[in-house]
Amino acid sequence: MSSNTASSSGGSGDSSAARKNSKRPKYSKFTQQELPACKPILTPGWVISTFLIVSVIFIPLGVISLFASQDVVEIVDRYDNDCIPAPARTNKVAFIQGDAPKACNRTLTVTKRMKQPIYVYYQLDNFYQNHRRYVKSRSDSQLRSPKFENQISACKPEDDAGGQPIVPCGLIAWSLFNDTYTLSRNNTPLAVNKKGIAWKSDKEHKFGNKVFPKNFQKGNLTGGATLNPDIPLSEQEDLIVWMRTAALPTFRKLYGKIETDLENGDTIQVTLQNNYNTYSFSGKKKLVLSTTSWLGGKNDFLGIAYLTVGGICFFLALAFTIMYLVKPRRLGDPSYLSWNRNPGGGR
Amino acid sequence: MKRFVYINDDEASKELSCDNRISNTKYTLWNFLPKNLWEQFSRFMNQYFLLIACLQLWSLITPVNPASTWGPLIFIFAVSASKEAWDDYHRFLSDKKANEKEVWIVKQGIKKHIQAQEIQVGNIVWLRENDEVPCDLVLLGTSDPQGVCYVETAALDGETDLKTRVIPSACVGIDLELLHRMKGVLECPVPDKDIRRFDANMRLFPPFIDNDVCSLTIKNTLLQSCYLRNTEWACGVSVYTGNQTKLGMSRGIAEPKLTAMDAMIDKLTGAIFVFQIVVVMVLGVAGNVWKDTEARKQWYVQYPEKAPWYELLVIPLRFELLCSIMIPISIKVSLDLVKGLYAKFIEWDVEMVDQETGTASYAANTAISEDLGQVEYILTDKTGTLTDNKMIFRRCCIGGTFYGNENGDALKDAHLLSAITSGSTDVIRFLTVMAICNTVIPVRGKAGDIVYKAQSQDEEALVIAAARLHMVFVGKNANFLEIRLNGSTIRYEVLEILEFTSDRKRMSVVVKDCQDGKIILLSKGADESILPYACAGQQTRTITEAVEHYAQLGLRTLCLAWRELEEDEYLEWSVKFKEASSVLVDREWRIAEVCQKLEHDLYILGVTAIEDRLQDGVPETIEILRKAGINFWMLTGDKQNTAIQIALSCNFISPEPKGQLLLIDGKTEEDVSRSLERVLLTMRTTTSEPKDVAFVIDGWALEIAVKHYRKDFVELAILSRTAICCRVTPSQKAQLVEILKSCDYRTLAIGDGGNDVRMIQQADIGVGISGREGLQAARAADYSIGRFRFLKRLILVHGRYSYNRTAFLSQYSFYKSLLICFIQIFFSFISGVSGTSLFNSVSLMAYNVFYTSVPVLVSVIDKDLSEASVMQHPQILFYCQAGRLLNPSTFAGWFGRSLFHAIVVFVITIHAYANEKSEMEELGMVALSGCIWLQAFVVAQETNSFTVLQHLSIWGNLVGFYVINFLFSAIPSSGMYTIMFRLCSQPCYWITMFLIVGAGMGPIFALKYYRYTYRPSKINILQQAERTGGPILTLGNIETQPRTTLEEEVSPLSIITQPKNRSPVYEPLLSDSPNATRRSFGPTGTPLEFFQSQSRLSSSSSGYSRNCKDN
Repeated sequence: MSSNTASSSGGSGDSSAARKNSKRPKYSKFTQQELPACKPILTPGWVISTFLIVSVIFIPLGVISLFASQDVVEIVDRYDNDCIPAPARTNKVAFIQGDAPKACNRTLTVTKRMKQPIYVYYQLDNFYQNHRRYVKSRSDSQLRSPKFENQISACKPEDDAGGQPIVPCGLIAWSLFNDTYTLSRNNTPLAVNKKGIAWKSDKEHKFGNKVFPKNFQKGNLTGGATLNPDIPLSEQEDLIVWMRTAALPTFRKLYGKIETDLENGDTIQVTLQNNYNTYSFSGKKKLVLSTTSWLGGKNDFLGIAYLTVGGICFFLALAFTIMYLVKPRRLGDPSYLSWNRNPGGGR
Repeated sequence: MKRFVYINDDEASKELSCDNRISNTKYTLWNFLPKNLWEQFSRFMNQYFLLIACLQLWSLITPVNPASTWGPLIFIFAVSASKEAWDDYHRFLSDKKANEKEVWIVKQGIKKHIQAQEIQVGNIVWLRENDEVPCDLVLLGTSDPQGVCYVETAALDGETDLKTRVIPSACVGIDLELLHRMKGVLECPVPDKDIRRFDANMRLFPPFIDNDVCSLTIKNTLLQSCYLRNTEWACGVSVYTGNQTKLGMSRGIAEPKLTAMDAMIDKLTGAIFVFQIVVVMVLGVAGNVWKDTEARKQWYVQYPEKAPWYELLVIPLRFELLCSIMIPISIKVSLDLVKGLYAKFIEWDVEMVDQETGTASYAANTAISEDLGQVEYILTDKTGTLTDNKMIFRRCCIGGTFYGNENGDALKDAHLLSAITSGSTDVIRFLTVMAICNTVIPVRGKAGDIVYKAQSQDEEALVIAAARLHMVFVGKNANFLEIRLNGSTIRYEVLEILEFTSDRKRMSVVVKDCQDGKIILLSKGADESILPYACAGQQTRTITEAVEHYAQLGLRTLCLAWRELEEDEYLEWSVKFKEASSVLVDREWRIAEVCQKLEHDLYILGVTAIEDRLQDGVPETIEILRKAGINFWMLTGDKQNTAIQIALSCNFISPEPKGQLLLIDGKTEEDVSRSLERVLLTMRTTTSEPKDVAFVIDGWALEIAVKHYRKDFVELAILSRTAICCRVTPSQKAQLVEILKSCDYRTLAIGDGGNDVRMIQQADIGVGISGREGLQAARAADYSIGRFRFLKRLILVHGRYSYNRTAFLSQYSFYKSLLICFIQIFFSFISGVSGTSLFNSVSLMAYNVFYTSVPVLVSVIDKDLSEASVMQHPQILFYCQAGRLLNPSTFAGWFGRSLFHAIVVFVITIHAYANEKSEMEELGMVALSGCIWLQAFVVAQETNSFTVLQHLSIWGNLVGFYVINFLFSAIPSSGMYTIMFRLCSQPCYWITMFLIVGAGMGPIFALKYYRYTYRPSKINILQQAERTGGPILTLGNIETQPRTTLEEEVSPLSIITQPKNRSPVYEPLLSDSPNATRRSFGPTGTPLEFFQSQSRLSSSSSGYSRNCKDN
């Protein structure tokens, strides 16, 4: 954009400022609205080059993002359906709520070499952690310190059990995910590190190390997982991860980290306890093994979006150039002012 | 209805029980709070915010802390309430001052000193010279043996000359002592506001001689706020007191003014409110359905089976609160803030300081600056507003010799001075006529100098000029005049005064020279009424030429003539004159007939030329403003001729060939009706012609027209760009304003005297000139300026900028609130339609207060065009007048933009932060940062001129956003602890931001460029021209030739009447696309009909009717 600095025309102001008068307003560039200003106008050159520059930046960025996403190796295994024995599939809810053994074996094949750390996620679909009733049903102060054990007013309906406050209270904690995975590679156990999966800040400041679970899952209804009452909340990393509520109905939460590389062709056996009820609302459950890149997990969206926007900008630059060449218009041509035209031929 | 006032009788007058307390205050101590609250809550927006604030107290549904609404709400209310209280307190103080003024009254024959507020109806009030009249009085006695006194009525009707008032005939000859004990009864009408009429009767009780009813007229009254002048004392009985006086009745209560923009903003707010309700209902229903179908299956949500009765309402109400930010509470605060600043800019403007007196402009009403940019009609007072109110004798032509042609001032013409010293007969006679052919009263001032009090400014100018030319009119004693010429004193006895009437257009006096006993007839008058009666044989050709020459220079001319009368001729005529004077029927006509018998065979002495000096820059100002599409009406209490004269000289109307004056007159209903019909017919037929048609109407005809032919008159008002209304009263002025307002025009009234106060208060914008006629107008006005010419700066610069800025600010405020609201709505679809807020409380509150308000506030110093360009192309004001920058279609553009941006932000955020990154707090902050980035770029894109402040606020605000959030992220107990640090360390976050900016701004930028280059609005063209330094600035299609003197040949307004449409709306402007507005985004190609229906006048005659509300 071209710009020219407006020269202030304070001629009249100077002469009047010379005379002293109490009523006379003070002269300054601001009060006279004459601050030097840069007044850009949209000349074709500036606009076209802006679009060109944007496209030149965006297209490579898109390519880089796409490469980063392609670098990520991801193994996704949906198991919610397959882990119900075939006879029980007519009534999955009854099965999951029943007492039948829920162990289930899955086999995954590594199709591409995966460098450590490999993250193990569980993914839930159609699970509304962002529901208003749900997301508000927690007591941050109770989690932080045993002093506020009784601050459970926000936690309804999972606030107390027989008059005793539940720690941790609220629907979020109550519905803690309780599927477990045991991994082995080529029949040798594969260690999944479950330490350090929660945010450090949460462990240190949000969940107190003197707060121990109390009366948890002792109510009329049992929700999800139970907690070991001897371990303080700050060490209950699964809970901490779960309590970081997801904003979208499809989300992944960190289960653990594999700290060895996986080679192409490795088979991984997963023995899982299929405990968590997603069947009543037909939610999906998936196990995800994934590496990361500088951009995070596998996500082509950014790369594609960058390429699209860059492409559109390039196209616009091209279109404006053509328009400029085909139909040039002089900027600020006074003949465009209707009152300069003959009124007879006003249009 | 009548009322009876008993003079000097407390008992009998008690039933009227009205003291003289004046009260202009709006509130009392007791009703202040309820009344003020009631007034504030009558605004829709306030009701809305109160409702939201109350709803937020219910914790089940509130998404945020209630304090976030209550705090600002109480703050806003407190600010405007204390402002009102302050204003009212000042009114109270000034009332108190007037009420506690000491006056003399007579009770039971004893003079008493009391406060003005204690005067009762029926009291006899004593006034001394220069006292202000405390209430409406009927004169009973004066110091003058003939019962005459003089009053200055400037505060009442704006006329500065002295008026004579006489005591009723019944009171003549009552001596002082009796006066004190006078008893009687007055039968007078109930209080009204007509200052020209007082039809009452008086009957004095014995012992006063006659028991007859004596009729009273306005001539017998002293009205409140007049000043007694040149009279030692006067006394009168009070008939109307307090707020019932003529002045009090005509003093309307100033209604709080609302600008057209405010109304539009309110309307748009209403529309958004409806939209919000629809959204809330849809989401509420969807939410309830989802709850009953899906949420019951979501075991982890634990919806109870049994719900309280209000369960169905909970979700809609939650959405209501979630969407309540759609109507930004900040808009009121920021509008008040910027409006205050607009007013300050007006006061600070050094170019609007009167250099002579050093008074700066003042904006009493800080709320209506935008309206200045939308003015369609300017109603202006004449005297003191357009003119300096100073008549100056400039030239003369005596016996064929021109004086004053060389230097433009006859008083300094050496030839004339030498002619006087040499005692040339013609010249001496000429001066004698100038000095004594008038009704001027010379008054000896304190310092011994002579001050002339004249009914007519022309006469005063002539007398003063004569005095400067050594023919000094020294004194008047009954019928004897004293003239001093070069040291010798000459005495004349006035025998008769043949008064001026508008039919005769001349006045004469018959005087007897006390030295030699000669009887002389002295006449002066308009050329057409003097020249035909010139004595046979005299060549009047030079006189006619002189008159024409002077008229072309815009000077007011009078012909002076002289004739010596034979004694018998006079005596014979005198008898007839006396006879005619006492005739009851057709007296005026009879007198005129008799006068004519004397006024013949006149010896024409010469012509005087008087300049009624226009204020500096008046013609250019009117010309520029008329070019800007503003219509001018002149409302004056003055005579028709004078008004037309002035109108001609200040470009108001064009002289004959180009312009046409249509006269509406008549004394009776039929006359007026016929006249009106005729004028209307002409108007209708000439609308297509490039002719400057104006109509002239006088007060009497106006009253009839408005009363009986309102519809016709309204039509006329709409058709006519120019009008001259002469001899109108203050309330008629206000009535005219009201008529124009009722047709939905924006009116601006400008005046300087007390007689303009009502008009000023009635108009959308009142502008007062802090001039000679006191400060009443300036006090009542919304703006007071030192000179008329500042009006163009006030309108074209300040009004226009204010409009543009407010248009941007208000729409932008909605844009940013809608943006965040749309995101919330979208989010609700992926959160089970349960009314979860994506953003935390802190962000929501800070979004409106900190993150988005600062950059936009700095738009108050944005200038789309330089002042010079606007002055050169005043037509550009049309964009403001027609409301091109803030209307439903531009608003739709902003609405669309916020929808588009919300989609961009939301889609990019949820996809970029999917799966393992979809943490609530993080996602919320990413979306919020996206909004902040976008809004910074939107402000930058809409800014026309970047000053340091703009850069600071736009980019500084962005930095501020991160600083504030880093602070919050450092507090362990806050919900967003460490969130911002985590985000800012992720490359993904920054990549997402760039993407949002690129995707959000790219299309908008492209669209703006396309419009700017290929569909430019006039503003864009001027911007381009101005900034590329193109040829437009030197185009000079407007020849702004400063008229320093009137000596230049007055070209008959070739500038104004350059061929163009007669309709107030310029057709060519209408023809460009309404979407070519500066700040709109949205579907192109909305048809033109929208604007054409808004434009008031298509040239077809059917156009006007739909604009009149009362049709």
